[in-house]
Formats: sequence, structure tokens, C-alpha cells
Amino acid sequence: MKKLIIGILILTVVAACKKNYPVDDDGLLITPRQECYVSNFELLGADYVTVLTKSPVIDTTAQTVSIQVLFGTDLKNLFPQFTLATDCKLDPKIVGKVDFSDLANPKEYTVVSGNRQISKTYKVLITVQPR
Amino acid sequence: MQHSLYIKYSALLLALLAVLAGCKKKDYAIPTPKDVLQNDCIKRTQGPNIVGQTIEFAYAMAILAEKGKLVAAHVEASIEPAAGTWLENKSYYTNNSGVDVGISVGNPSVTTKNITTVTFNKDTNAATLRYYYVIPDAAKGQTVSFTFSGESSDGETVSYKMGPYTISKMDMKRNITISDGNLAYISIADMTAYNATDAAAKAGSIDLVYLYRNLTTSAFNHALVSPAADPQYLPGITLPTGVNRSTNERKAFNLQDYNLAQLQYGIYIDDPDFQQLNVSNEPNFAINLKQEAGVWVETADHKYRAYIYFNSVNNTTKSAVISMKRYTL
Repeated sequence: MKKLIIGILILTVVAACKKNYPVDDDGLLITPRQECYVSNFELLGADYVTVLTKSPVIDTTAQTVSIQVLFGTDLKNLFPQFTLATDCKLDPKIVGKVDFSDLANPKEYTVVSGNRQISKTYKVLITVQPR
Repeated sequence: MQHSLYIKYSALLLALLAVLAGCKKKDYAIPTPKDVLQNDCIKRTQGPNIVGQTIEFAYAMAILAEKGKLVAAHVEASIEPAAGTWLENKSYYTNNSGVDVGISVGNPSVTTKNITTVTFNKDTNAATLRYYYVIPDAAKGQTVSFTFSGESSDGETVSYKMGPYTISKMDMKRNITISDGNLAYISIADMTAYNATDAAAKAGSIDLVYLYRNLTTSAFNHALVSPAADPQYLPGITLPTGVNRSTNERKAFNLQDYNLAQLQYGIYIDDPDFQQLNVSNEPNFAINLKQEAGVWVETADHKYRAYIYFNSVNNTTKSAVISMKRYTL
């Protein structure tokens, strides 16, 4: 009987400890992290094969992602993939094909930190490999 | 104390009961065979049914030995089959090495119009015959069904209906050799590759130009480029007069269609894939193509959609072997 009472007591304590964690509009956990940067970038063609000629150059100070794509890449139908610092999220969200063909006006993506307090906008600068 | 003892014993009893119940066996009784002529059928081929290809079935018949023997087997197709359709006159068994060994049980099959017949000439009371239906051109886009029937010496007949099966609207052509500078002009309408002279004569139906370039600055390699594409994608190519169509293309990789690739992959491209294909926003060139890659295309006149697959490429001879599935819109 004693054991049972103790057990119930422990359960009550545990339940009381459960907190309502803060979540954002997307249902994602808001954490104390302040890191806010792009750590890697990948670009896939319509056939889901990479179109990059070499590793992307990511400048976290200038907030740019510089890449070179293969000669003959169809810039209208590309699938970008960002790797971000822990707990960060991206705005706008990537939901499918993206048109990168307007090279004069590079696409911009905003990284939002884990605590949702810091946001940094990155430009994706594309150059096409010469023939 | 008394209480726990009670629990202990009842648990033991329960366990014992469970064991006993588990041990009880059901006596096996040899099933009594039906004393009539019986049959069964399965379809052996998978994937879309394409004109010129075969649909294969295995049809089994059996009768008790004391009642009689098999006399004949018939297959009736709802659409008259193309030449080459036949019903096997051998019944197969699998030997110890896993090889199918055929034993002749009847005369070679005779096909008259829709009906293919095998007449048995051995005293046999059970056989499984395979049927190969070559899909005729007339069946394209329609459904075909089959009635298999068997006859025994005591006058009984049985039949088994299979289908209906939809015959794809698409066409297929395999192993078209293309080569840079020679058979480089591909017509989707004709499903053929032409040289420059023939291409000039058929200028209106040339949809793609095949070329191979080994460039040090970029990965060009094997390419299928529309005649109307930006000239930077057609280096060193002088197009025959009148060849100027623009064909939208989408590259694909890891899409080794079973019929085209003739490899182990169980991927099939069928009519719905072409019906749902939208390449209106795609470029009119595809470069850096490799073996086992492919391209989805739609012709400039919106008459045909196709999937072109690279069976093999050869950098030395600057050539490739392609296969094509084509859907008429």
C-alpha cells in the first residue's frame, strides 16, 4: 500500500513538471538558440541530379550563397535544398520547383533563428559554367 | 498467504490447460478430388500491354484418370491476334536444377481467326499449357478478353474467362542506333533516326538532333537538342534545310522502364504517365545525358508525347542506342 502511494506521488510530480513548450505558427519548437546561418546548399535539376559544378561558397557575413551550375542547366525548373543551423527555419518555404532564371535579380531566402528573434536574408548568386 | 497460494495454483492450472489445448491435433484427411474436368488459369506477364508485345497465360486442365483423358484445349481471344500467337503443346515441370522441362502432349497449335487450338495426342489427364497472345495493331486502346476451354474424352467441357485487359495506346520501338554526324536526326512521328540527307527530305518531322561533344570546360557529352534551340547547344552543327522544330524536353534519371531498358527494374511507363505529362515550361534541349538516363518529350505540333531512354552510349564512336515509348495525343 505504501509503495502504491509513493508511486502515485511520483506520477503527480512528473505530470506537474510537464511544461507547455512554446511553438511558432508552423508548430515548430521555439528554442533558446540564436545561431542563424546557412551551412550548406544544394541545387537539383528536373531529373533530381545535382547541377552544381563544385561546392557552394557560403558567405555568412555578406549573407550570400554563391554557386556555379553546369552549362545547359534549365534554370526555370530547379529544386533548392538549404541546410541551416540547428532549430532555424527558412522563409519562404520551398515547396517544389523554383525558377532561378532571372540572374539579374537573385532569389532571396530568409533564415530565422531557433529563438525566432534573429533573421538573416541570404541571396543565391548563380553563375552558369561557360561552354 | 492462503490468497497467494490460490493464485499460484490457478495460474498453474491455466498454463497446463493452454499446453494441453495447444497439443490437440486435427486429423488430416486426404481431400476427395472432384470427379469432373477442372481448369484454372493465371496471367504471367506484368506491366502495360503494348502492341507487338505478348501477353502470356498458363492454362491448366485436369480430370481423374479413371474418368478419361484430355482431348483438346482452345483459347478464344475477343480480338483476332497478330501473327505469332500460339498455345504451347508442351506441359512443363521443373526439374531438380530449377529448369523447366517441356513434355510434348499434343500437336502444335493451330490458330484460326480468334481461336487457337491444341489437340492432345498423348494419354494425359493433367496438363498446363502456356498461351502467348501477340497484341495486334487493331487492339490499340481497346480491351481484350480471353476464354480458355478444355475438352475431355468423356465429353465434358470446362472454360475459364480471363480479362478484360486494356491494351495501351502507346507505341514502342526499341534499340534505335543514333550517331553523331550520321543518324543524328530523330523523328518521333516515325520513331526513326535519319541522316542529314533523309532529314532534309523529312524536315517537317524532325524533332531532335543527337550530338556528342567532349568539351573540357563543361559537361556536354551526349545530348538531344531541338533544331530550334539556342545555337550554343548545337556547336558545329549545320542543320539541313527546313529542320527547325522546337521540342520541349525534361531530363529524367533512374527511370529505367522495364520494356525499354530490358533490365531487372520493375518500372513501367504506361498511358497515364503520358496523359499527365506537362513539359510546357521545360527547355528545348537536354545535354549531358548518360547511359540509363532518359528524356520526356512533347513534339512541337502537340501530336506526340514520348519517353526516350538511353540503353547505351559510346563516347569513342560518338553513338548511342535509344528506345522509345510514344503516346499519340
